Amino acid sequence: MNEHIFFGTYQLSRITRLIAAAVLCIPASLSSLALAAAPNQLFYESRPAMGTSFEVYLYAPNRERASQLFEAAFDEIERVEAALSNYRFSSELSRINASANAPVVTDPEVFALLERAFVYSRESDGAFDVTVGQLMKAWGFFRGAGHYPSGEELDRARDQTGWQRVRLEKRTRSVLFLVPGIELDLGGIGKGYALDCVARVLREAGATAALISSGSSSIYAIGAPPGKTGWPVRVSDPLDRTRTLSTILLKDQSLSTSGNYEKFFQLNGRTYCHIMDPRTGRPVEGTLQTSVIASEATDSDALSTAAFVMGPERSARLLDNIAGTAAIFVTDRNGMERIVQIRWPNQAGSAAQMIKTESK
Amino acid sequence: MNRRSFVKAISAGTLGTAIFARGAENVSIREKHPVAPSDQVRLGIIGAGSRGQELMRYFLRVPGVRITGLCDVYEPRFAAARKITGEETPIYRDHRRLLEARDLDAIVAATPLSLHAEHIVSSLQSGRHVYGEKSLGLTLEHCNKIVAAVRQSGKHFQVGHQYRYAPWFHEVIQRVGKGEIGRVTHIYGYWHRNGSWRRSVPDPKFERLINWRLYKEYSGGLTAELGSHQIDFANWVFGAIPESVTGSGGIDTYQDGRETNDNVQIIFRYPGGRTFTFSSLTDNAKVGAEAWIYGKDGSVEVTMADAIFYYEPKRASSPVSEVTERGVPTGATYSTKGEMPYRGPGSRVKVPEGTEGNPNLSACKSFIESLRNDARPFADERVGWGSGVSVYLANKAIEEGRRIMFADHLKR
Repeated sequence: MNEHIFFGTYQLSRITRLIAAAVLCIPASLSSLALAAAPNQLFYESRPAMGTSFEVYLYAPNRERASQLFEAAFDEIERVEAALSNYRFSSELSRINASANAPVVTDPEVFALLERAFVYSRESDGAFDVTVGQLMKAWGFFRGAGHYPSGEELDRARDQTGWQRVRLEKRTRSVLFLVPGIELDLGGIGKGYALDCVARVLREAGATAALISSGSSSIYAIGAPPGKTGWPVRVSDPLDRTRTLSTILLKDQSLSTSGNYEKFFQLNGRTYCHIMDPRTGRPVEGTLQTSVIASEATDSDALSTAAFVMGPERSARLLDNIAGTAAIFVTDRNGMERIVQIRWPNQAGSAAQMIKTESK
Repeated sequence: MNRRSFVKAISAGTLGTAIFARGAENVSIREKHPVAPSDQVRLGIIGAGSRGQELMRYFLRVPGVRITGLCDVYEPRFAAARKITGEETPIYRDHRRLLEARDLDAIVAATPLSLHAEHIVSSLQSGRHVYGEKSLGLTLEHCNKIVAAVRQSGKHFQVGHQYRYAPWFHEVIQRVGKGEIGRVTHIYGYWHRNGSWRRSVPDPKFERLINWRLYKEYSGGLTAELGSHQIDFANWVFGAIPESVTGSGGIDTYQDGRETNDNVQIIFRYPGGRTFTFSSLTDNAKVGAEAWIYGKDGSVEVTMADAIFYYEPKRASSPVSEVTERGVPTGATYSTKGEMPYRGPGSRVKVPEGTEGNPNLSACKSFIESLRNDARPFADERVGWGSGVSVYLANKAIEEGRRIMFADHLKR
């Protein structure tokens, strides 16, 4: 039996790519099935973007067709990054950040994304907040590896944080900062949004089975591999990433994961991660990892951040109001993992069943 | 130059060197049809493909701009374009019907190159100002028709050479013009990519419609789609258009039925013994898109995001005071060892605070300001004509395998 599948321009016998917290599982049986169901074969390509590595797996009849789809996908990621990056001076987000002390008119796409982000800010009582740019800088997570801010730095950053300090005027599509120095940072939603844009582009181009991911942040599944009901995706244990916390099947759905291990620094025995609680101005402590399933990656990305900040109990109320969502939390209870599931479609044999779990 | 003077100058089209387009000296007095500053500017889009959609996004970031008509011949683009406008923008399948609409002040033409002349000329004749994508026209005749139509209409025309609106380009032009790197003899322009340039086609019947860049009937290939920006830059630096051109190219990597070359190498000779060499590859992206200006006293590397000066070792005759005036870091003056290339740091161009921006947005914004202020766009039809005819003659030189003298073709 031929167990080979295409991995970019190379043939590998099996894919077990680690996507940080979530791992795409493509067993050999699946890959051979793909070839049996010729002409579709699995292709893979990865390129750096948005400060991480975007990966695309897709089924296509041949390499030429796959190349065209990859080009379309990565062109779209570049387009979104060019608009939303706060690392590029030429981006629309940078222009807004630099100029919104007076109303800045933006295009409907960017405005709609900001509106969507602010809905999550409101619904999460500020746990999700794209105005955390100054806090990220104060804690050294913008172009840096972490830094404990002075009281003065923190006070200043707090004064320049808060979604209610930004006015979105729908009629003119304008953004206005009500206090100077606000800085929008779409790190908690932008990569998910990019995946939704890529999914749209791939679907328009005729792709029916693809899995796209933005580093450790989000994964979106278009359809399912031939003959399967979904793409198997593994959520790993934040304390031992080689261990499987849960394996789920994704089909026309997204999974986003926020973890305290992505960017962090340690000081005096404490770990400070890059996910801020905008209400305290400090990195979130006590949550190790949250994974959220939603129908769109924009939503799962924002919700995984919000859930990380809010914790399981308060998140349950938020997620209950959004159809199609599910979540799994790993929190730190005195050095022990506590796993909490909300409508989580857990598969048999995962670590979640080895560790005592709670359901909300 | 501070931010205010830069913005003012770029809107009034007063920056840069002398306009060079031969035969375009006599600008007719235009009828005054300014758009009031407070008015909404209503745009119609002819060609809502990838570039057209990108331009729509930029124009919608300019206060007071509304897109009131979308014209295309490929049905799926209407939904995509309406997603960008965020409203049920009226759609047209024939540009003549769009031009009959009353609620239009200006047209954005982003169609395949072979259609530029038809769409731009008819838009101007309908009384609309036009933002037209580069290259100006597929043929010399097309380029001339557009220039004539702009003159006759008295309307404003801006060509899609957005780097004319990049502040670091202006800074380079100014400093090079003042002699900072000595006499400029050569410019090398690269636009290297690693990709087939072929787009996904949902049905083979759409092949030529979607992949028009690959067919000579519609496209000037790499020379037009990528090279025209670099050619315009060379024209700008040299303050002239070329005197002659030779070139080569081939379909050497992607033999997939395409007709336009997948690599070109072109040498333009300018008046005064100056040369611009352009190279475009599609199977190696190491150098990306950049231009190097070489002068007797230094070099400048210009990219889509920045520009960096490097200086040849100072000679005894160099006045020392210049160094202080420029504030050039010592590290920018290089010394090559054993003919090895210099790989050290250079002196990055600083632009006025708040003007860095995005050249695409700046170009769109400037066009709208030109309409509101009734001011000639900086990248006007003469700028477009200079690069447009150079593209056309370069492709002719490649195709015929000979040196083309511009004077033999540009007589009027």
